[in-house]
Amino acid sequence: MEDFDAAIIGGGTAGLAALKQLANLGRQAVLIEAGKDTGTKNVSGGILYSKKPRHGKVFNAEDVFGSSFLAEAPYERKITKYILHATSGNKDYSIDLTRAHEYQSNYGCSVLLNKLISWLSVVAEESAQKFGGGIVSGVHVRSVKPEAAAEGSRMIIETDELEPFRCKAVIAADGVNSETAVMTGAREKFSQTELYQGVKVIVKMPEQIIEERFGIGPEEGAAHLFAGDVTLNHIGGGFVYTNRSTLSVGAVYHMDSLMENPAQPSALVDALIRNPVVSELLRDEVPVKSEVDKDLPKEEQLRTRFAVSKMVKNWTELRDAYYSPTGSQKMIESGKYKTREELKARLDSIRSDLESKYSTKFVSDYVELEYSAKLVPDGKRCMMKKPYHDNVLFIGDAAGRGVFIGPRIEGLNVGIDDAVRAANAISRALDRNDFGKSMGEHYSQSIEESPFTHDMREIDKDYLKIFLEATRGVPKDIVGQRYGMIFRLMSSSTLRGLAVGLANILGYDRLLPLVESVDTYVQVPMEIAEKMGRSVDATYQPTIPSLADRIARLSYDDDRKSHILVTDPQSEFIKKMVVLCPTACYSQEPDGKVTLQHEACVECGTCSKGTEWHHPRGEKGVIYQYG
Amino acid sequence: MDPLKFGVLVKLEPDFSEGNVSYNADGTLNRAETKSILGPHSAVACSAAFYGKVKFGAKVMVGTMGPPIADSALQQAQMICDADELHLYSDRLFAGADTLATAEVLKTGVEKATIGKADIVFSGHRASDGETGQTGPQTAWKLGYSFLGNVIDYDLDPEKRLIRAKRLISLQGFHDVIEEVESPLPAFLALDPSYKPFFHKVSERLAEQKYLKEARERARDYKKYLTVFNVQQLGVDPKKVGLPGSPTIVYKVEKIPKAMASRKAQVIDGSDAASIRGVAEKIYQVLGGDVK
Repeated sequence: MEDFDAAIIGGGTAGLAALKQLANLGRQAVLIEAGKDTGTKNVSGGILYSKKPRHGKVFNAEDVFGSSFLAEAPYERKITKYILHATSGNKDYSIDLTRAHEYQSNYGCSVLLNKLISWLSVVAEESAQKFGGGIVSGVHVRSVKPEAAAEGSRMIIETDELEPFRCKAVIAADGVNSETAVMTGAREKFSQTELYQGVKVIVKMPEQIIEERFGIGPEEGAAHLFAGDVTLNHIGGGFVYTNRSTLSVGAVYHMDSLMENPAQPSALVDALIRNPVVSELLRDEVPVKSEVDKDLPKEEQLRTRFAVSKMVKNWTELRDAYYSPTGSQKMIESGKYKTREELKARLDSIRSDLESKYSTKFVSDYVELEYSAKLVPDGKRCMMKKPYHDNVLFIGDAAGRGVFIGPRIEGLNVGIDDAVRAANAISRALDRNDFGKSMGEHYSQSIEESPFTHDMREIDKDYLKIFLEATRGVPKDIVGQRYGMIFRLMSSSTLRGLAVGLANILGYDRLLPLVESVDTYVQVPMEIAEKMGRSVDATYQPTIPSLADRIARLSYDDDRKSHILVTDPQSEFIKKMVVLCPTACYSQEPDGKVTLQHEACVECGTCSKGTEWHHPRGEKGVIYQYG
Repeated sequence: MDPLKFGVLVKLEPDFSEGNVSYNADGTLNRAETKSILGPHSAVACSAAFYGKVKFGAKVMVGTMGPPIADSALQQAQMICDADELHLYSDRLFAGADTLATAEVLKTGVEKATIGKADIVFSGHRASDGETGQTGPQTAWKLGYSFLGNVIDYDLDPEKRLIRAKRLISLQGFHDVIEEVESPLPAFLALDPSYKPFFHKVSERLAEQKYLKEARERARDYKKYLTVFNVQQLGVDPKKVGLPGSPTIVYKVEKIPKAMASRKAQVIDGSDAASIRGVAEKIYQVLGGDVK
């Protein structure tokens, strides 16, 4: 059997950070990824933060991947504008939370995970290869167990694809649906009270139109959060983040709330897109082909269809290039066009030909590129108290660690911080040849010291202060009806410390039902919008693709064997999945039984708690292009 | 122990994938307009050599006979198998060669490899534009190597200098058979199109990544590894190559006439529900009520 020092299960941002950090420490590590390539299974809302805490140390991406991270990594835009919207009908009231977003932060960048992870993989793999390690993708880990009963004995990893191998320590970075956690007995699957469900669509938009629309410069980005009636009465909210030439548009809702009042996840995104504030942000110019005259000869019909498709493709590509400084530059350098004006003239001429010769219309609409879904662990409720088991250390989503406090949403960077701490603990254990509990405790201690752990446990009064200052414009009577006492306490600089101290003694367990409620996420924002909001009228009706169309646009490597086994097709839980599965894999038969067709599954894990759920075999399942 | 040495014989072929083929007015292939690529069967041969490179650290030479532009096939081959040496056998005197004359060039080329005498030579099952499938066996015969065709898997014992291969035998009207054969080295392997290398160990997967990365780097600078041979440089007898060395006589090429369709098609406009219902009823009728 082959032997390695360390194995990492899962090639997301956390897993790759662990691989890179182990290589930085001169250690041999292999990373096992189930997807065909790293990054094909990952989804994030899309902001990667770098933190600058006042107390304690946080390990950021640049600490692991080098100080030139920001100069070299393919992030999308640095978020410089962070706005919270309260919505009701066509009323919108916005609150500028940029200061809260910049709180103890070096930067926050929008990212598309597939692109970012591809880059992280190249960098991490190159370092890991120097020490006999690297990345092995297309392999699904089936079991992780100690070789012998003795404390600290080596771990044996079995996979669906490869011969078993041994290693001294394991880092489980296999995400919110960590099979490693369940198979080792480190924790149970997360319950519905501990999770959020996120659904996202990527919307296409040329670079400079994004800048104009969102009022940002070429190197800047905007993040807009939404609460109020767009939530369709659920606890959570919507978001629109600007990428370089796309937008990430998503809805994130607490699973408890969804279980109580099931809503199709895609319908929740649709509600967000239909909101006039959002639809106006997404508006773009879209060509609509006219029907080809069926009385024409067959060859002519074929020729017309081909010509229109080709012209529309050219027009879209040229337009993207025209509205992008680098794109225009490339076109000019390639010699195809001498100046940007010439490019514009060609663009206009294709457009005019499409309109006059082929009756193509140019309308206001938006263009969707990819639909995705993911579960998000709510760190306040589910971070592992003991993030290790035998020689396995759990990091990031697998350890249930995410900062999810009102408009403060962090996850990718929490995983990176955990990864460094886990890698350091393993390196220390290798030096001392002392694994098992000693290594686990050392890691656990390090995690305790992480400022993120503090955030997941206690209210940060300084952050609260900034947040309350930003909401100063909201009349006290709106909030006061429901939260008068709390609001008064928190708004007073002298009493705030006392109030937060008291709240922290009470703990999140008692506070959360009060703070995270339909009132705070829906009713209060709606009241604010109705009383104080400006009216925004939609200038068009977005053509929202059906769920079937969204699924059809995704890429899959189908596995004939289902990775999900429905054990009780008549349970109340599984009946709710008929509505809550983001790709509608479940359907109810006339006899009341629920059946599953796994082919369209995007592996979010929404149904995991009530089924025998595994990730698909290596290379199989969904393949995200953006993530 | 010296590393194993592999030769791979490849061919530049028209890209028959959708959208890349161009035809003349008479329906024949327009070779000038059609893009050329490394033949799909040649690519399979390259991946078989790569398997050996990853598992046994073999040295690889890839050779092809063709016009100067055939070096692009060598570059693509190097990308797949991380070749240490590339050979292009290119001379006007090679023109008009049939499979036997081609085999003479390839055999001589394989023997010129600077990495040393090949322990195994790999080729594809056939060429996608030639369909003959004889060049491989004839080259093996000229080299004096054991020939193993239709190979779907192989393993080596470098110390005993033995190869064990699985061959897919298709029997008309009966189940396919997988035959396992053993042969001493040197051997010539023609790969079945279904061959796919699979690495079962973590160390092999790591080596695969390492060699693939090396292959990409080498292929970027492929000319550094390339040697072009003409008749003199190769030292072949001009009478045994090209048209003079080809005993095959192509008397005439005729287009195969298109067979007349015996079934009658009915075109149905599916724009309304009634016509779609009609189609469903028709299918139901044809299936004789087997479906409900």
